[in-house]
Amino acid sequence: MIDMDGPLDFESEDPLLSSSTPKKKRRKVIGLDDLLTDYYKEKSRLVERESKRAKASKCYNSDEDDDVSKETAFFETIDECQQQMKEISSEDEISYWGMQVFGNQKTPQPVTFPELRSCEILNSFMNNELNSSVELCAEKGEAFLEGLIVNGWLSKLVFMCGHVEKSIAMWTFNLMLYSSKEELRTSACDFWCSILSKTEVDLPFAKIDWFPSYSDLKRALEIYGFLPNFSSNRELLNTDSDTGGPPQNIRAWMKFMAICCQVRSKHSIFSTSEAEELIEVVICLFLDRQLQGLSMLFYECMLSVISFFTEKEWHYSCEKVAKSLACRVPQDLNCLRIVECISGVNTRSKCLRSAVAFQILVNCFDNKVTDAEEILKFLISINVKDRSCDLFKMYIYLVLTENWLYSNPLLEDKPVINEMWSLYLRNCSCQITNTDLRTYASKVRNKASYLLQGTVKG
Amino acid sequence: MESSSRSRSHAGSIEENTMAIIDAAGAKDTQDTNDDRMAFLEAVRASSIVPETGTAPTNKMFEAIFQILKVGKSLELIMASYQLLNELDKCFPRAYLSNVDKSNSSCTALLEPVVVKEAWSPFSLGSDATCGERQTANKNSGGPLDSSGFHLLIQNIVKVTDEMNSQALNIKSLGNMFLFQYLVNVLEGDFLPRNSMYKETMNWTLLRESLINMLLGSRKISYKGFIKDCLSLISRLCHVYAGFSHDPSCEENSAGKQHEKCDTAVAIAFLEVKNCTCISVQKLLVLIMELDMSKKKADMQGHTTRADGVRTPLVEIIIDELTYNEDILSPFLQVFNEPKWKLEIALQYFWKYISKPSVRTRRSNGPTEDATFGGLLKYFSNNTNTKNVIRKIGTEVAQLLLAHAFQAYLSLSSEQQSVKGISNSKEDASISSLEICKNMISAFNSFRGKDGHVEILPLGKEALFTAATILSTK
Repeated sequence: MIDMDGPLDFESEDPLLSSSTPKKKRRKVIGLDDLLTDYYKEKSRLVERESKRAKASKCYNSDEDDDVSKETAFFETIDECQQQMKEISSEDEISYWGMQVFGNQKTPQPVTFPELRSCEILNSFMNNELNSSVELCAEKGEAFLEGLIVNGWLSKLVFMCGHVEKSIAMWTFNLMLYSSKEELRTSACDFWCSILSKTEVDLPFAKIDWFPSYSDLKRALEIYGFLPNFSSNRELLNTDSDTGGPPQNIRAWMKFMAICCQVRSKHSIFSTSEAEELIEVVICLFLDRQLQGLSMLFYECMLSVISFFTEKEWHYSCEKVAKSLACRVPQDLNCLRIVECISGVNTRSKCLRSAVAFQILVNCFDNKVTDAEEILKFLISINVKDRSCDLFKMYIYLVLTENWLYSNPLLEDKPVINEMWSLYLRNCSCQITNTDLRTYASKVRNKASYLLQGTVKG
Repeated sequence: MESSSRSRSHAGSIEENTMAIIDAAGAKDTQDTNDDRMAFLEAVRASSIVPETGTAPTNKMFEAIFQILKVGKSLELIMASYQLLNELDKCFPRAYLSNVDKSNSSCTALLEPVVVKEAWSPFSLGSDATCGERQTANKNSGGPLDSSGFHLLIQNIVKVTDEMNSQALNIKSLGNMFLFQYLVNVLEGDFLPRNSMYKETMNWTLLRESLINMLLGSRKISYKGFIKDCLSLISRLCHVYAGFSHDPSCEENSAGKQHEKCDTAVAIAFLEVKNCTCISVQKLLVLIMELDMSKKKADMQGHTTRADGVRTPLVEIIIDELTYNEDILSPFLQVFNEPKWKLEIALQYFWKYISKPSVRTRRSNGPTEDATFGGLLKYFSNNTNTKNVIRKIGTEVAQLLLAHAFQAYLSLSSEQQSVKGISNSKEDASISSLEICKNMISAFNSFRGKDGHVEILPLGKEALFTAATILSTK
């Protein structure tokens, strides 16, 4: 057995812990909020009383000097209290997740497509006798093509004719990533998605003369203002300068990237290391609060990217991505957000969730401990009763460990790990009293006791 | 027996523990209670989705998640609850087909529909009488919706899209759109396995008990009003589309900095959510049309009873609505992309105005080559026929319908190409797509009239271009 200076074995027979239906009512400690509301209640009552008195004093101009002096004294005390409250609350700043992932947009160089004039499908039609009714000419070529793409004809033409010219491919790709017109960028994106995903028994059904590469996508991200090293610019988050986030084209970018990953067997567009980078990009986007409303899109894209790899590649890539992410993300609530945005709906997603949580944990300990048992041993050795113990960090460790262990067969395979985990949970839930006023004390306690009830049952 | 009761008590204790996370909430809405709600959603995910063999949340937990989506306090909560509900439905479906004989690996393995009756549902569509009592309770709580609640939700979204141009974007309206999308996903997840089973077994009870059938059959909503609202939602969303053709996030920024971060988040997400809502309305309409088709089959086989009621087929209602409300014709056809039903709508629209005898032949279910797109084009090859139709429905409508029908036809035929060239039973394979293209061109030529004084719409020009280009490459 490992030596652990935690609770003894019989403690696990504690009826409170192992009772089959533990009623864990969350008794909230009196928090700052409560104090504040009490204070404001008191203040508003006072104001009310004063106004009543003011009314009353109009009638009876009697001896109020005494009252006034009492009142000023009272207000002085309140001001004092308020000052103290301020001091306390500045110590305990509640933090939120959120980072600025996009900075200032760059203006893309305006691209003209002179080749469009020589594009074959337009030219061949201009000699057609039907052109008397369509009245297509070289000058109107691009506008006409825009109509074709917005109304969905272009993809039908490709389906029937089996060919995408280079000029058309480049032009539509450009519209998708840089057009400021919603209908153009979305229909260009639809066009690419439909021609790429169209299958004929794993063979490309159409001859596509030009394919974008990973560097084209990367350049677009840079133009959108993507900040690849977001950890360095956290302070920008709170400034009022409104950079406005990425252009709407990010949606098309995402969808296009996802479809490219899905059709790997037909069109090989990315290499494995590029796909690894893409996973990181998608995960980073989850950190931007401005982009929260698009999280369903990111979620679906993430599933596509992680399905890109072969089984063999995945094992290696998953760990590589996790390590790289762990180095980049700050060790605060943002790292929890990163883990929690990996949904865990399928095997690969679970695997990534666990790996990312583990690597961040390893990084938290400056890579000094890299072994599962050692990590748990270290966690158990932390004395949560110690006033100097950083409970915020404790909370981060707790959630990370939970995610690392729960989407992982480790807990079932190694009883030692399981035991150490329960011991750690008991430390957190029993050694922190419910009168502990430190911030995050109740969070750590509640989380640990919640998890503990799960493990006792399991 | 024993193991099942144990697992139930296990689930019970999970419920108690997990629900305790949000128990403290309720009274006031502080950041704290929102944090608790997030923690609750994360805890459900951790116990139901993340483990290899997760346990399904109990009904009470489902209800709490649904309430979080419905109340929609913050964008973070809306997104997390919406995603979680959809994932849970995938992991623990309410209705699905299960392979009875797993050893039999042939593709004709026996499938059996499994309907989890006790599963939680966001709808409460029992008999109208019992629901009436509950209705008052439902209004203010986050409980399941009845049919009128669903209808009300659609009306609310329509109202919001009306005000959209005055920048009335807020979290609540975004939340409503997500709620609507989720509910449509539930209806679809319930209907599709039942319908595919119905096609094999002809057991109408399966579909009679489907959520969508009960929803439409409810006397609490006017079916036609409901459809009207769906159609106006589609066309409204399409108009918003036009208004937002420039980057909303940029406009937002130049408009002023008083917008909080959250508003920027709503503005950034708006176009995407709007597109998804459009797709959901379309999904809902397709579900109803599929249901109509199965019901018609059941009617003919005498499986339906009087209790099933009579409902005008959706395609007919849509055609009426498009006829009397010409403004929505173009947006509807632009948004509604499902090729099979789009073609059906366009064809039925034409046949309604084409001389009666051919309609009768169609109805009398004889050999109905006329009802196909090829048949329609043949009809238009005759100049007098064309003139008749144009006199009745106008040249613009005729051009729109024909161009959209052509596009739907192309989608269908390219779909069939990729499925190893199996031809559609309805669109006769004897008419090749080349012939269709030729006939398309001649139909448009006859639209133009002898002197060519009739203006061809841009969409018509594009259709002509497409047809001619296909012809020239083959």
